[in-house]
Amino acid sequence: MGKTDPLMSRLTRATRPGLRRAGLWRLAGELLWPLQAACLAAVIGGWATGKGTEPLALAGVLAAGILRSLAEARAQGLAARTAAAALEALRAELLETEAARLDRSLSSGTFAALVVQKLPALRRYLARYRPARIRVAVIPPVLLGLSGACSWAVAVILALAGPLIPVFMALVGMAAKEASARQMAELGNLTTLLTDRLAMLQDIRLLGAAERTARDFATRAETLRARTMEVLRIAFLSSTVLELFSAIGVAMVAVYVGFSLLGELNFGAWATPLTLSEGIFVLLLAPSFFQPLRDLAAAWHDKAEAEAVAAEIDALTAASADAIPGGIAPAPALPGPAALSFRGVRLRRGAALVDIPDFEARPGTLTVLSGPSGRGKSSALMAAMGLLAPEAGRIEAAGRPLTAETAPGWRARIAWLPQAIHMPGESLAAFLDPRGRRGDMAAALRRAGARDVVAHLPGGLAARLGESGTGISGGEARRLLLARAIAMSPELVIADEPTADLDAATAAQVIAALEGLAAGGATVIAASHDPALAAAGREVAL
Amino acid sequence: MRPLARVLRLIWSAAPGLMLRGALLSVAVLLAGIMLLGLSGWFITATGLAGLAGVGIAFDVFRPSAGIRLLALGRAAGRYGERLLTHDATLRALAGLRVTLLRARMRADWETLGRLRPGPALTRLTADIDALDGAALRLALPVAAGLGVLLATAAGLWWLTHWSLALIILAQGAAAAVVLARLGRRSLAPSMRAERRGQALLRGTVAMLRGQVDMAVHGGLQARLSLLLARGRGLERAAARLERMSERADAGLGVVTAVAVTLLLLRGGMLVEAGRLGAAAAAVPVFAALALQEAVALIRPGMSGLGAMADAARRAMAPPEAGAETPPDPAPFPAPAPAVIPGGGAQGAGLVLERIALARPGADLPVLENVSLRVAPGETVALTGPSGGGKSTLLLIAAGVLAPQRGEVRIDGRPVAAWDEPALRGRLAMLPQRSQLLAGTVAENLALAGGHADAAEMEAVLEAVALAPVLAPRGGMAARLGEGGAGLSGGETRRLALARVLLRRPSILLLDEPTEGLDPATAARVLDGIRRIRPAAAILCAAHRPEEKLWADRVFPLSSCDKAGSLDSGQSANSRNGA
Repeated sequence: MGKTDPLMSRLTRATRPGLRRAGLWRLAGELLWPLQAACLAAVIGGWATGKGTEPLALAGVLAAGILRSLAEARAQGLAARTAAAALEALRAELLETEAARLDRSLSSGTFAALVVQKLPALRRYLARYRPARIRVAVIPPVLLGLSGACSWAVAVILALAGPLIPVFMALVGMAAKEASARQMAELGNLTTLLTDRLAMLQDIRLLGAAERTARDFATRAETLRARTMEVLRIAFLSSTVLELFSAIGVAMVAVYVGFSLLGELNFGAWATPLTLSEGIFVLLLAPSFFQPLRDLAAAWHDKAEAEAVAAEIDALTAASADAIPGGIAPAPALPGPAALSFRGVRLRRGAALVDIPDFEARPGTLTVLSGPSGRGKSSALMAAMGLLAPEAGRIEAAGRPLTAETAPGWRARIAWLPQAIHMPGESLAAFLDPRGRRGDMAAALRRAGARDVVAHLPGGLAARLGESGTGISGGEARRLLLARAIAMSPELVIADEPTADLDAATAAQVIAALEGLAAGGATVIAASHDPALAAAGREVAL
Repeated sequence: MRPLARVLRLIWSAAPGLMLRGALLSVAVLLAGIMLLGLSGWFITATGLAGLAGVGIAFDVFRPSAGIRLLALGRAAGRYGERLLTHDATLRALAGLRVTLLRARMRADWETLGRLRPGPALTRLTADIDALDGAALRLALPVAAGLGVLLATAAGLWWLTHWSLALIILAQGAAAAVVLARLGRRSLAPSMRAERRGQALLRGTVAMLRGQVDMAVHGGLQARLSLLLARGRGLERAAARLERMSERADAGLGVVTAVAVTLLLLRGGMLVEAGRLGAAAAAVPVFAALALQEAVALIRPGMSGLGAMADAARRAMAPPEAGAETPPDPAPFPAPAPAVIPGGGAQGAGLVLERIALARPGADLPVLENVSLRVAPGETVALTGPSGGGKSTLLLIAAGVLAPQRGEVRIDGRPVAAWDEPALRGRLAMLPQRSQLLAGTVAENLALAGGHADAAEMEAVLEAVALAPVLAPRGGMAARLGEGGAGLSGGETRRLALARVLLRRPSILLLDEPTEGLDPATAARVLDGIRRIRPAAAILCAAHRPEEKLWADRVFPLSSCDKAGSLDSGQSANSRNGA
């Protein structure tokens, strides 16, 4: 998956065998059409010469028609399955990579839209555009040859009208690609605007910004419509031109054949004059000569769309983001004392580098990283949990270097107490027990002073709260997070601003709970600017 | 299916003229296709016969050949016009529908607004609406046009050739309709399932990435990822099943055409032999049957997507959220009224809370009982009390977003319920306990407060909340924030949200723990800044830090006043001279 291997060529390689087989089935089906047309022409020719309906030819019309339908359906199915398999593999790969790296370049909403809503553009490209290209290479020449065998003039008409189509398509394709990229960008803008606004509807209400938001959105939606129409106009124009060529081609063939049969045109046929059956045969072949070209043109838009999506994915793959050291697979807990030390550690915080003072946290102690906002307290906690690899220096956990090998086992021993609550759509009970240990929840809630919080909620532990803990106050959320950490009976607790949002009495209770965890033998590390918390433990000033 | 019908009516009514013209053109285009092939077939057969009979000179070649050319050109032009008209009409309707849905969503009550999960809401406003464009373009229009074309073709053939041939054409149409209806019915469930799995995958992906750190530490990330991958596979499986059904339908339609052509040849041959129909006329239905396949093929994609469309329509047309309180009038918010400084009436100015009581449904203890409080312009009152003691709830009631069970809130002498929303928000502003920021620049975040603030005022407000020096090295107003304001620390996020609220120039300012996450020195500077930049505002502040209590003119302890009687006793009993 190097930078030199773009997604489109990878996909092309992966799907080549399946799509080739699909293409062959499709060719087989389409080549039955001249046979069916010849039978049909023979039947009508038989009427004109007074011989009546030819039973064999009639049977040929039916049999060729049925076989053709079956072969084409089979081709369609093969192409769809091949494309779906390739897409599923791609989606899994994207999800796996994205889940295992922090500091992502795309917002979660944009990424989700990419893997769910935009990937099907690649499927359409693989299932429609590529088979259409195979057919264009084979069908028109074969039909041209068959028509030419009846009349060189018809072949000339088709040969003149046909090649103009790809030339025109190339021109239209360039315009379509550009318009399609603009439309995709606009779709992204709309999604970003909505994702942000929908997450802050309460703020919007309080800021009196509802009408402004609706108007902004209306403008965006209107821009998206205009951009979409731009793409469609180009797409429709191209298909119209194709249709025009094909219609004119068919009309010219019909008129030429009619005049030849009347005997008014005496050129174009070979030694013998054109017969009625031959005339009908070439008339039936004429639309099919253009059809593969029209299909390719219709799929051209799929190609433009797919290229835009592929470029987006290539950009995502190329973007540098730090993978979570050691990956995300669960690992057995690392043996050894739950001690942690930082030696000369330098961390990346956005574009800046911050130096973290040396410190050591041993079991049974409470260590508080203090300092004003923006000094890298949170980043230091990420590094302590083995989620962020340091740029320089050495972190030791349980007596060994904290590296990709040891990080997952180290994390298995940690209870994490974040600053903000994030509840995926699950019950409070499930949220409070992320490792599924079924510990003593009642005792944990009591120790965290969170019993009343649960009692106030409709449904108690079965309650489902909003994504960021709506329905409870910030202080209540903090106490629930503390209860969760206690219930995990951890050897190591890492807490980000555990006393934020709390009044003095509750903050004292939280500090006491953290001290209690340390007294019980756990290593407790907190980042905080709260002097009361800093006083309770060993302070490391950042 | 009923929501789908509503969506169709909505799309139709957004631009009925455009849509009607589009639909008529669509029928005309399909008919032209059939006539082009039918006429060409007739022309060739007739000229062939005339040539054989040696009467070529007498044959009128000009009208048929002119007709063929006209149909060829008209068909292409008509197709272009039809597509533009119908797509434009549909996209207009859908753009309007998106905005209507967002408005309905924003009018939900306070708790619903907070419970809302951005992921599903986003899907409903984007993907669901996108799925609806097919309702008109891939379903209603092709079905209507196909039916029209079938009937017109059969009638034309009845008149020009023989009734039995017209009946075969009708039977071909009926058989195709059976195949399509069967596809529609059988694909309903899998296409709905595919759609739902897609939505679930979308939501699950957002939830996984948002909770990434938490799950990475506590070990749920791998399991969550496996769940998503399984959902992805389920999505592909459902899509593959749909694909197989479509294949079968396509094969079925092909067989129907082959059989119809064979029957037409058989019956036509009999009529020709019996001398009841000329060979040229008997050839016309055969060509028409071949051309009719195009009209039928246009309907097929709509039928395989029927389930997804019906499902999307159901979600889009459903009320914003189960249990949401939607006001009966669907009118948009009125334009915001300019903030007018109250004309005088000092006795009514400021914020008055009278005997407020509230209990949560299903909970044992009331949150607030009989709370009365007055805040005059220029005065700062600190609400104190333990966490969960109802401070935030009281502020939300004062802000008019929660309704108390008993009691009344008066803003500048008028009950809060009597204010219309924009005027109320123009007068009163609130910093809630948690605020969200936008991805974008600092200036864009501040602009959310309204269009009246210029750069100078924004700078002044950032200075007041002690944020200007922090932001300066990152580009000041042009500093870019990530998703949800990422890139700022907790304290910086808080101050930027506060700056946004101050920009509203409120005469009543409600602050819920405004200095949360700030060190004491910064907290003191920020509080001074608030008062300096909004000297005349009546400020009610939920306070839990000593700095906030010291800053206030008086402190109102919430727990002890539950049983306090009247408004004024509450005020005086808890009065404390700040300065």
